[in-house]
Amino acid sequence: MPDLRDIVSVFRIHLARLRAEAGPFVLAALIFPTAMYLFANAIGGGAENTIRFLAGSIVFSLSLTAISWLGYLLLENRFTGRLKLFAVLPVAPSSYVFGILVFGIVQATLGSGALLIVARLLGARTQIGLLPLVVTILLTMLCLCGFSVIIATRARSFSEGSLLTDSLGAGLVFLAPVYYSPEVMPHTLRIVSEWLPTALAARSVQSAFAGSYATRDLAVLGAMAVISLSLGFRLMRFRED
Amino acid sequence: MKQPLVPEDGDAAVRVRALVKQYRDGNHANRGIDFDVRSGEIVSILGPNGAGKTTLLRQITTELRPTSGKVEIFDVNAVAFPRRAKAMMGITPQEAGVFETLTVRQHLELFARFKGLAKREARNSSAEIIHELDLDRETNKRVGDLSGGQRRRILIGLALLGNPPLLVLDEPTAGLDPVSRRAVWGVIRRRVTEGCAVLLSTHYIEEAERLSHRIGIISAGKMIGLGTLGELLSLLRKSYRLSYQDCGDQQQVRYFATFAQSQRYASERQIAEYSLARASLEDVYFALTGHPFEENENNDTPCLT
Repeated sequence: MPDLRDIVSVFRIHLARLRAEAGPFVLAALIFPTAMYLFANAIGGGAENTIRFLAGSIVFSLSLTAISWLGYLLLENRFTGRLKLFAVLPVAPSSYVFGILVFGIVQATLGSGALLIVARLLGARTQIGLLPLVVTILLTMLCLCGFSVIIATRARSFSEGSLLTDSLGAGLVFLAPVYYSPEVMPHTLRIVSEWLPTALAARSVQSAFAGSYATRDLAVLGAMAVISLSLGFRLMRFRED
Repeated sequence: MKQPLVPEDGDAAVRVRALVKQYRDGNHANRGIDFDVRSGEIVSILGPNGAGKTTLLRQITTELRPTSGKVEIFDVNAVAFPRRAKAMMGITPQEAGVFETLTVRQHLELFARFKGLAKREARNSSAEIIHELDLDRETNKRVGDLSGGQRRRILIGLALLGNPPLLVLDEPTAGLDPVSRRAVWGVIRRRVTEGCAVLLSTHYIEEAERLSHRIGIISAGKMIGLGTLGELLSLLRKSYRLSYQDCGDQQQVRYFATFAQSQRYASERQIAEYSLARASLEDVYFALTGHPFEENENNDTPCLT
C-alpha cells in the first residue's frame, strides 16, 4: 500500500531537483505549446479556431509534461541507478509512482495556468469552468503518466525509452485532431484518432472553456487512466525475479 | 582440509538457509547457502568475480527473489515481507545513482524521511552522518560536483540513516582512497559497538581481515568457508608461507607445516633471500577457491607444495 509520507518525500526529492533543472520543464510545459498556439493561430487563425488551438496547446503541454518529461525522469532514475535508492528502502513501488504522479500533476497545473495567462494576454477570451478544467487535467495526466510508467519499466535501454516517450509525447498530440479539423483526416485515421486520449482531452478542455463537462469523453479518459495506471503499477517492481 | 564451518541457529540478525538462485537460463548464482549474522558482529563475504556475492546480498536485501531457501531478517521472512525486512536494514547497493542536483545535506535529509524520521530528526541525523563521513566541507555542495569516493560515502550515509540494526553493504569502500576507507571502517565499527549487525561484501582482503569478526568465502555460488580469521587459517595444514625469487626472477611461494620444514627447504636450495610469514587470509582464499586473490593490485600467484 502506498504511504502518504513516502509519496510526499518522492515528490519533494523531484521538486528539489526541478529547481536546478527548470529549463526542460519550461520548454515542455510552456515554450513549445505557446509556440504551437501562435503558429496554429498564424496559419489557421480566426476567432472560431482560437479556443480549439488553446485547448490543443494545453493538451500538448500536458502530453509533453506527462510523457516526454516525466518519462525521461523515470527512465533516468531507472537507468542511472537512482531507482535503487528507493528500491532498498521500505517504500512501496506504488508510493514511488504516486510521488512522481503528484510531481507531474503539479507541473501540469503550473504549465496549464501559465498557458492560459499567456493566451489571455494574447487576446483569447474564454469562460473557463475551473472544476471541469481541473478534472480534465487530472484525468489526462493520470492516463498519460500511466503510459510513461509502462514505457519506463519495459524499455530495454535509456535510448529506447527516450525515443518512445519523445515520439509518443508529440505523436499523440499531432495524430489527434487538436490543431486541425478532424474532417481533413482520412476516414479510418479519423476514427482511431478521435479515441486517442489527447483527442478526448482536447474536447474536454474545449468544453471546460465553455464552462461545461464533456461527460462521455471524461468517462472514457478516466477508464483509460485506470487501465494505463493499473498496468503501470503492476509493472513497477522493486524486486527482480 | 577441514570442512567449512556450519552456521549455528539462535538469535540472528540475518538467517540464510538453503538459499538457491537459479536464473532462467539455467545458471546457478547461489547453490544452497547457509549462514547467520548476529547482532554486534561484522561478517565479510569474499569471493572471486562472478562467485555470487552480490546475488547473495541482493536476495538478502530483497532486491532479488530467491529460487528457493529462506532469508530471515530479525526473524522476519524477507521473501514474504520485503518491506518489513527492509525497515530493519540500511543498505548500500554495489551500484546506485545519486540525485546530482541535490546538495549533500538535501540528499540525506530527504531520504531520512523514508526511514520514518521527523523533519528535525532528519536534519540532526544527516548532520551527524555528514560529520562522521568527513563530508562537512561538502555539506552544501551539489552531489554532482563531488568525486566518486565522496558519492560512495553518501551512499553509505544513506544506509546509516535511522540507525538500522542491520547494515548490508555491497563493496562499501570500493573506489575510496585509503584514508576514506579507514574512516568508513571507523563508522562501521562504531555502529557495531552499538549493537548493529553488519554484512558486507568486499574486494579488499585487508578490509575483511581487519574489519570482520567472521569471514565467508564464496566460490561458484557456494559458501566454502566461514569463520573467524583464526578458524579460517586453521583450515590450512601448511601455515608457513615462504616466498622468494627463483633464478629466472620469478616469484615463488611455498607452504610448510612447520617453521623447521621451511628453513630446511631454504637451506637445501641455498635460497639466500626469502621472506617467511604465517599464512594469511589470502592463502586460505587461494586454497579454498583455487583462484589467486585479485583486488586490482599486483598479486603473487602462489602454488601449494
